[in-house]
Amino acid sequence: MEEILNILQENCPGIDFEGQERLIDDGILDSLNIVMLVGELNEAFDISIGAEDLVPENFNSLQAIHALVQRLADE
Amino acid sequence: MRWSSAWRTSNPMSINSAGFLLFLALAAGVCYLLPKKHRWLVLLAASAFFYLTFSVRAAVYLLVTVAVTFAAAHGMEAIRLRERAELEQHREEKAEIRKRGKRRRRLVLGGALTVNFATLALFKYLDSWLGTASRLLGLFGVARTFQPLGLLLPLGISFYIFQTSGYLIDVYRGRVKPEKNFLRYALFACWFPQMIQGPINRFDRLQPQLLRGNDPDPAGIRAALQLMIWGMLKKAFIADPLAGAVAELFDNFARYQGASLLLGSALYCVQLYADFSGGTDLVRGASALFGVEMAENFNRPYFARSMDEFWRRWHMSLGEWMKDYLFYPLALSGPMNRLGKRLRARFGPRAGKLAAPCLSTVVVFLMVGLWQGPGLSNIAYGLWNGGLMSLAMIFAPVFARVNGRLGLDEKNLPFRVFQSLRTCALVVIGRYFSRADSLMQALRMLKRTVFHFGWGALGADTFLSFGLSGSDWLRLGVAGGVLLGVELALERGVPLRERLDRRPWGVQFLVLFAAVLLLVAFVYLNTDYTAITYVYENV
Repeated sequence: MEEILNILQENCPGIDFEGQERLIDDGILDSLNIVMLVGELNEAFDISIGAEDLVPENFNSLQAIHALVQRLADE
Repeated sequence: MRWSSAWRTSNPMSINSAGFLLFLALAAGVCYLLPKKHRWLVLLAASAFFYLTFSVRAAVYLLVTVAVTFAAAHGMEAIRLRERAELEQHREEKAEIRKRGKRRRRLVLGGALTVNFATLALFKYLDSWLGTASRLLGLFGVARTFQPLGLLLPLGISFYIFQTSGYLIDVYRGRVKPEKNFLRYALFACWFPQMIQGPINRFDRLQPQLLRGNDPDPAGIRAALQLMIWGMLKKAFIADPLAGAVAELFDNFARYQGASLLLGSALYCVQLYADFSGGTDLVRGASALFGVEMAENFNRPYFARSMDEFWRRWHMSLGEWMKDYLFYPLALSGPMNRLGKRLRARFGPRAGKLAAPCLSTVVVFLMVGLWQGPGLSNIAYGLWNGGLMSLAMIFAPVFARVNGRLGLDEKNLPFRVFQSLRTCALVVIGRYFSRADSLMQALRMLKRTVFHFGWGALGADTFLSFGLSGSDWLRLGVAGGVLLGVELALERGVPLRERLDRRPWGVQFLVLFAAVLLLVAFVYLNTDYTAITYVYENV
């Protein structure tokens, strides 16, 4: 979780990821942020986040992103 | 009594015609009289009737698209079910079975999307491309000409092809379960209010509303009527009066100074917004009469402070479609990933990070341009928008540094106004490409604007020289002022409609009555008024 948080803060400074539950729904993360984040997450965890995974449920909070990374790492 | 052309359009079901309004009232009446479980059949019958009044042949093409996408969705689901059964029997081969299943589903998806977009290309682009090919061959001295096929563009093809393709991709991704009943699926694909100019709806949001058998809701019907009337007012009092002046300035641009041409493009921005958002309000209101809320298409785009924000506020259903089904898959694709890695190694991490979103943005807007039409000017329009947005991403740190040094931030109102005006200026320049008949015309007009601006042309006489009289300008000024006032209030979070709804019913009735009276007096009974086809009705 901490590594993911570091990646998030590095790519999108100024966002309080720990307190957010609606990162996508409230437009806090835009499509550019998402694409950059996915690139970093893929690289860091050796996973492959595909376009089908880019739904608000997977990116609305730090916990949701963590769950997505865990799921893809397990597969 | 003589009625204006608004009542007498060539097609009795044109959405600003009396025929359409009568049809709406009848369909809603019949729908609400039937038991809940049969109401969707009325919606389907109304949609079929609406489409058939335009063209029987076009209805056949639509039916082919519906059949192909219905079958493909079921093909993908069958593969998914077989994959699940295999997984239960051979757990040790999980990865291989999933890979195989995905490959098969991708094959079915690819086939159906190819059929869909080939159909679109056949009707929308082929003749234009054949003409271009003939001209190019002529340039190289080859006297070979390709005869255009002259196929008529089926109504709403750009919208239903995108909507059904989005559904297929959602089924492929496992986001939605395919509809089992062909007729119910046909209703999603052919729901009549979306067939003129969208919006492009999503299956998971639209389908449940179409099938649940909505009960008549007085508040919802009142809001629907308000939205329809607001849309008709925008079209009749702003878009249509401007159409002639804009056409004059673009068609005869050589007669005018650059300042007039710039004004023409700005007027086109206003015309297009009033036309497209007015039409969208009308069809969203028509759909809401049946308790079906369609996707939003506009969110006061001219208040956007960047091109990126503009495109999140303008034609939103197309933007969302492009983001989910083109931008993300492209930006996350293997080749983009490899390009990013290569650029990261050579030019540093920032270049690596930006490569995929920038390139994908350019491709997406190239497609947005082509969606509007097959010409080179449409391609240039796409490149203009995509290029600007990519540059904004690349230079974002520079802009942030400059703004920081100047002490400018988002709380600074004059700076926000400046940002909105800057965005509007960029949109106005872009519209030279989207409105001109050819790329050469757009470039000549731009050249004239820059090198023959002619400040003197901004006198009162000029404003009266392209078909708008003093009283036309006055009426446009009042209508435009009302629109701007309403949009400003909404932008600042003033809940105008809710406030109106809280007024005594007599006041509400008077407001509605006054709006209808305006439409009847100035539009429907005005023999000088000419109803104009919606700009995006034929894309």
